Amino acid sequence: MGKRVAICAVSQIKMDSDYWYMRFQNMLLPCLESIVEQTGVTFDLEKGIRDIITNSDDVFDARTISNNGVTDVVGAHFRGEEKMAQEGINGLGYAMASILSGHDDVILFMGHCKESQTENRLMNTNLAFDPFYTRPLGLDFLNASAFQAREYMKKSGVTDEHLAKVVVRSRKNAKKNPNAIESKQVTLKEVMKSPLLADPIRQLHQWPVTDWAFGMLLCCEERAKEFTDNPVWLTGFGNCMDSFFLGDKDLTSNFSLKKASERAYKMAGIKDPKRDFDVVELKDLFAYQLPMWAEGVGIVDENKGGEWIDGDGPDKQNVNLSGGMLSGSPLLLGGVARTIECVLQLRGEAGKRQVKGAKRAIAQGTYGAAGQHQAVVILEK
Amino acid sequence: MAEYFGVKVEDIFNTMQERFRPEGAQGVDASFGYDITGEGKWKLTVRDEKMTIEQTGDLSGCAVVTVTDGETFVGVNIGKVDGMSAFSSGKFKAEGDLGALGKTAKMFRKFVPLKKEMSIRDYLMDMFGTVASRFKAGAAEGVDVVFAFDLGGEYGGKWSVIIKDKTCRVIDRIEGKPTVKLEFMDAKDYVDFSLGKIDAQSLLAAGRAAVAGEINLALKWAEFFDKYVDPMGSGEKEQELLVLKKTISVEQRYATGPVMGKFLNGLKDKKIIGLKCSGCGKIMLPAVEVCADCRVRASEWVEVGPKGQVRYMEYVYYASPDPLTGETRETPYGMLNILLDGCKGNETFAHLVRRDQIDRIQNGWNEASGTRVRPVWSKNRTGSIHDIEYFEIDE
Repeated sequence: MGKRVAICAVSQIKMDSDYWYMRFQNMLLPCLESIVEQTGVTFDLEKGIRDIITNSDDVFDARTISNNGVTDVVGAHFRGEEKMAQEGINGLGYAMASILSGHDDVILFMGHCKESQTENRLMNTNLAFDPFYTRPLGLDFLNASAFQAREYMKKSGVTDEHLAKVVVRSRKNAKKNPNAIESKQVTLKEVMKSPLLADPIRQLHQWPVTDWAFGMLLCCEERAKEFTDNPVWLTGFGNCMDSFFLGDKDLTSNFSLKKASERAYKMAGIKDPKRDFDVVELKDLFAYQLPMWAEGVGIVDENKGGEWIDGDGPDKQNVNLSGGMLSGSPLLLGGVARTIECVLQLRGEAGKRQVKGAKRAIAQGTYGAAGQHQAVVILEK
Repeated sequence: MAEYFGVKVEDIFNTMQERFRPEGAQGVDASFGYDITGEGKWKLTVRDEKMTIEQTGDLSGCAVVTVTDGETFVGVNIGKVDGMSAFSSGKFKAEGDLGALGKTAKMFRKFVPLKKEMSIRDYLMDMFGTVASRFKAGAAEGVDVVFAFDLGGEYGGKWSVIIKDKTCRVIDRIEGKPTVKLEFMDAKDYVDFSLGKIDAQSLLAAGRAAVAGEINLALKWAEFFDKYVDPMGSGEKEQELLVLKKTISVEQRYATGPVMGKFLNGLKDKKIIGLKCSGCGKIMLPAVEVCADCRVRASEWVEVGPKGQVRYMEYVYYASPDPLTGETRETPYGMLNILLDGCKGNETFAHLVRRDQIDRIQNGWNEASGTRVRPVWSKNRTGSIHDIEYFEIDE
């Protein structure tokens, strides 16, 4: 195993379904101020922050080339700024590459997403499809996922009731997470009676529209003590991009997630994913994705998603104790939100949902239609 | 009339009627003149979504007259010459209202030159006719060789390509003993081979071609000559090259937050307000949350202007169109950076200047003061940059 990268501090604003009174600059500033306060880091060109990674996407910002408005509020003026429009979890990979290659010692990583600003949430993900063939047919992440959900549920014995269980459990966990925006308790019956959006996906099976921003300070192993007494180590990262056209891939194979996990596990020396993690955070945009991604990262045997839910697998393996995506996180940043949750757990700062003595965690993020792109990070105490 | 890129100037004008798009001519009521040096003058008149084109010596009454030479005119129309570079190099001039000229682009479908079919004989003539122009003299230092071509079949013939003293010439016969001789049973095979449709190996194996003399030299052909380019293009039919129109529009709202909101509300009240950095004292205009230099929040609101002096002004002749309507503002127009009263250094504010005053504006620079200007407020103010229509000279 090579050198480790330290996550010295994380910051976030509370998730909200509509920050109508803030523009994204107003959301990012408190995150930056919190990082500076927690770590004492400066923008000194010798010892401080010289390189910043920012994460945003025009489509959520209601303006084109929106990341030109980010630079000043993340302190990137006269500094290097890498701008990324991709599932935020990849920023950890870039930060890791930057630090382990010796390009820089300290990386500030900031991101934001305002899902609330679009008239209809489906318009955003419809734009993710090619403009000539599939976008005009009305494909979006909801109905693309329904393709996958139907096939996956058949393959892994997952029923409508299993999905309801996933939702009920998420809401229960969300109650212990002050950052969650969807913690209203629901019953199995309510979930199973909620309207079908694209069979088998129901209204209550999907993640809520969320506005959110975060900050993170990462640095090389040698300098971590300058910024924190309680570092969390980033020991593995892997990502993989599957075919763009939905029909070009096997929708239930979990190919890209398996590849991403394999790469991260190799880097971090993970031998048995079923036992090696104390905390697991998965980006379940839709309820069916909780068991499906669990199979993909290998904490559940292939095709055993249904049995896993029946046997209280999610509780036994501490999966999504935060409530997961279903309790709130924006599409662009779900993987970072999962990572930050793992960091809080490993630092012992997870409040009522704290797993005692948590030593190692895995966070997963996905972007694109039906899990096209997948990324995984391994975090250790 | 001369041909440029295989197209005559009059071809462009004669096809205007069939290329006319009434939907692109909505609201246009004007004449457009074309003065093509050495070719003639044409007048296009557009009214009520109808058009007429006439060749005439009289271009009076035209909103704009395009003055250029035949090659540039045809080149720009068929996409062989870049319009912007022709414009900036002065080869393509427009006298009058440039904005009006821009409208003509939307009124016509693109001119597509008619393609003539090329026979095997045409190809052979073209291939050997362009050999000398494709010759790379620099690669032929000390080379003294003769390539002979003996092409059979109905359209065949004999050619020799002679390289000597870094020059190249082509004759339509074979003399004496060439250095290397290429024989093709059928000239069509040679044409296909040159166009990359068939490979030499399979022709040789099938006995449809043979090489005699210094075989290695035959392989060196590509070192001495640029590749032959098919004048018929890739062979794609023009109709298959579609242009798809796409306008992407998603209904969204943009939350301004308190700082941008206060600034825009100020404009509504005919006030220009900036935020002052508590660290360095710089005034951010329009107001933003943070001082980029000091990385601290700015919290002290200051009202500046509304009068000020011009720091920079520029003349714009080529205006960016509105992305949704395609409309362009009238040119020339002047963009300003104004140092509003109460501001210093680079704390300037960007806006437009009254169009009829652009020639009277002086830039302020170091000790020299720029022209004093004042805002002209819009009657109907909504909290936008257009709440100020433009700045005018304060006199």
